[in-house]
Amino acid sequence: MKIKVDNLGFRYTGGKERALEGITFTVNQGEFIGIMGKNKSGKSTLASALVGLIPHFFKGAMRGNVYIDGLDTQETPIAELCQKVGIVFQNPFNQISGAKLTVYEEVSFGLENIGLPRNQMIERIEEVLELFGIAHLKDRNPFSLSGGQMQRLALACIMALRPEIVVLDEPTSQLDPLGVEEVYKSIAKLKEKGLTVLLIEHKTEYLAEYSDKILLLENGKLKNYDTPERIFGTNPGIQAPVYTQVCQALNKPKENGLYPVTLKDTIPLLKG
Amino acid sequence: MKGTNPFAFKFNTMALVLIPVAVGINYVGKLFASVLKLPLWLDSVGTILAAMLAGPWIGAITGLINNIIYGLTIDPGSAFYAITSVAIGLTAGILAYMGWTKNWTLAFLMGLVVALVAAIVSTPINILLWGGQTGNIWGDLVFAAIIARDLPLLLASFTGELVVDLIDKVATVLVSYIIYRSLPKRFLIAFNNENKTEKF
Amino acid sequence: MKVYTLYVPGKTYIHKMNPLTKLLYLAVAIAIPFIAPDPAITMACFLIGIFILGWAKVLHRVIYLLAMSILFISTIFIIQGLYYPGNTTPYLILGKLTFYKEGLIHAMVISFRLVNIMISASVLVLTTRPSDLISSAVRRGISPRLGYVMSSVLQIIPQMATTADTIMDAQKSRGLETEGNLKTRLKAYIPLLGPLVLGSLVSAQERAMALEVRAFNATGKRTFLQNEEDYTVSKAINAIIILALILTIIWRIYS
Repeated sequence: MKIKVDNLGFRYTGGKERALEGITFTVNQGEFIGIMGKNKSGKSTLASALVGLIPHFFKGAMRGNVYIDGLDTQETPIAELCQKVGIVFQNPFNQISGAKLTVYEEVSFGLENIGLPRNQMIERIEEVLELFGIAHLKDRNPFSLSGGQMQRLALACIMALRPEIVVLDEPTSQLDPLGVEEVYKSIAKLKEKGLTVLLIEHKTEYLAEYSDKILLLENGKLKNYDTPERIFGTNPGIQAPVYTQVCQALNKPKENGLYPVTLKDTIPLLKG
Repeated sequence: MKGTNPFAFKFNTMALVLIPVAVGINYVGKLFASVLKLPLWLDSVGTILAAMLAGPWIGAITGLINNIIYGLTIDPGSAFYAITSVAIGLTAGILAYMGWTKNWTLAFLMGLVVALVAAIVSTPINILLWGGQTGNIWGDLVFAAIIARDLPLLLASFTGELVVDLIDKVATVLVSYIIYRSLPKRFLIAFNNENKTEKF
Repeated sequence: MKVYTLYVPGKTYIHKMNPLTKLLYLAVAIAIPFIAPDPAITMACFLIGIFILGWAKVLHRVIYLLAMSILFISTIFIIQGLYYPGNTTPYLILGKLTFYKEGLIHAMVISFRLVNIMISASVLVLTTRPSDLISSAVRRGISPRLGYVMSSVLQIIPQMATTADTIMDAQKSRGLETEGNLKTRLKAYIPLLGPLVLGSLVSAQERAMALEVRAFNATGKRTFLQNEEDYTVSKAINAIIILALILTIIWRIYS
């Protein structure tokens, strides 16, 4: 078991309501989990709890436990946790450290902090720049990149720390369509590499395509945790992918009685 | 801010990240004042806000780094006045801790104290470096007028500096106070080092 | 992205010198004229500074810096010449104004000191990339967290200046008056600065989170991507600079 969340609850200092309450779930090695919910449903709070920003950065009242690869996040400093679990946030601009003058040096920021020897540092930097397709930008100032490039740089910086789990908190919500596509190509690579990924996203087509399971939050509580087909089939309140909506309208279910959530599953149904 | 030990010398990442932002606010505050052609500098709003939000040490470090960076980039002479900026940050932070950000009257008094401290600290620097002049046209006119009457150099230099600082620092503190009061509560919490996570 | 700095890139030996050696030089070259207020010694410091700047091929840049201080220097001559407390010997009479010899000499000493400060500071500022100075300082034991603060200032200021432009345009298009009488202009100040402060505090919080998850708070020993330049010659230069300082102090005591 890669992640174990046990009866997690949290209220921010000064906040009136609990942002999270009674959250329990587990994630296995290599699973791709989509996280959905309306604004203020607790998605970002959950992401913060998964990487240790709760309780170490955001203060408040906490209940329950989060275990990452067996480590209790309450007892492990973020500087150690970040080598197990990485996170990419919404705003590409604010993830640039501001302390480094080139893309290449920017990736070194975390590696210098953990005290990685120089030769290993260079090896890792070149590897991640190549992986996310930004090696040709290595001498540019990080702030001069486009949103999509900056977000891939943020991903590269996190991946250089070699975490086995990556949390993506609406990584494309502030990007233009081209940037969205670039970042999803990079997310596909994480999946190919067999990493455990948790993706918070409003764009349900992407969620349905990538996720093994979807975790649905409502008012800080876990509403549902199941396969995309069952989530979109049994929760009429949430926006389903366009493929599901079309097949529902045409009354074309799959053999198992559920409606498809991806283009790949929709085509044979509509042809036949 | 009230409730935090003002001299705890341990900074969370939030407070550290505030420092460059506060130096930036100093810069932009001055930029806006010159764009609006105000007869003020308003070049330490960031230092005072940092002191109000995160305490005297962060205020002091903001002042120090502000002037060192200016010294290294735009105006070498300003590095000497780092001491003044440090004093401004410390003073504002201590007074904010004592609750002087509660209302307009106290904020105005804070402006007066900050101006006085700034003038006291700058005067020896002015005397040592430039024979007592302030480098500002109004301050230097006052300086010249007093010294022409055969009054002591110290008095002339201090008065010249105070004339310059008084209006500017009171305005700076009031501007900082208005902005400070309008910030969402979560920021006031975020910079506090002493909040702990507890169980419920 | 423009970074505000006076640094002039170059390949001279002065450019390659250890930034901390240049910092030491700066401190000593400024201190000596104060320790030994003798015009000849100040002159010597000044000439050495000019020589180094010429060597680094940045002398022309200093002229711009000096031009900016001409106004201030002239006020020193006027005020000290007229009103210096030790004035006794009239030197120049212009209408009702009498300039005294003592005051003018004192003004000369102050101006020389001022120019010497600018020259010595220029040696460091014009030939050193600020980020190199900061990383040298971190290697010598300055807290890396403080180092981060210093280097991020240099990148954040130009960004905030860009944001300032955006806010100004936005507020003007919403009808904010930025011209007119003093009261109107004063009133415009908070609507301009307020949004910038709020926006930059939000960014600060997000950046703090992003730094945390990149091990910013790690307590172990840090490493560096860049290999440090070989600064062995620097040690000899450092020794010479300190020797100059000691000699000045001795001179002061025995003269």
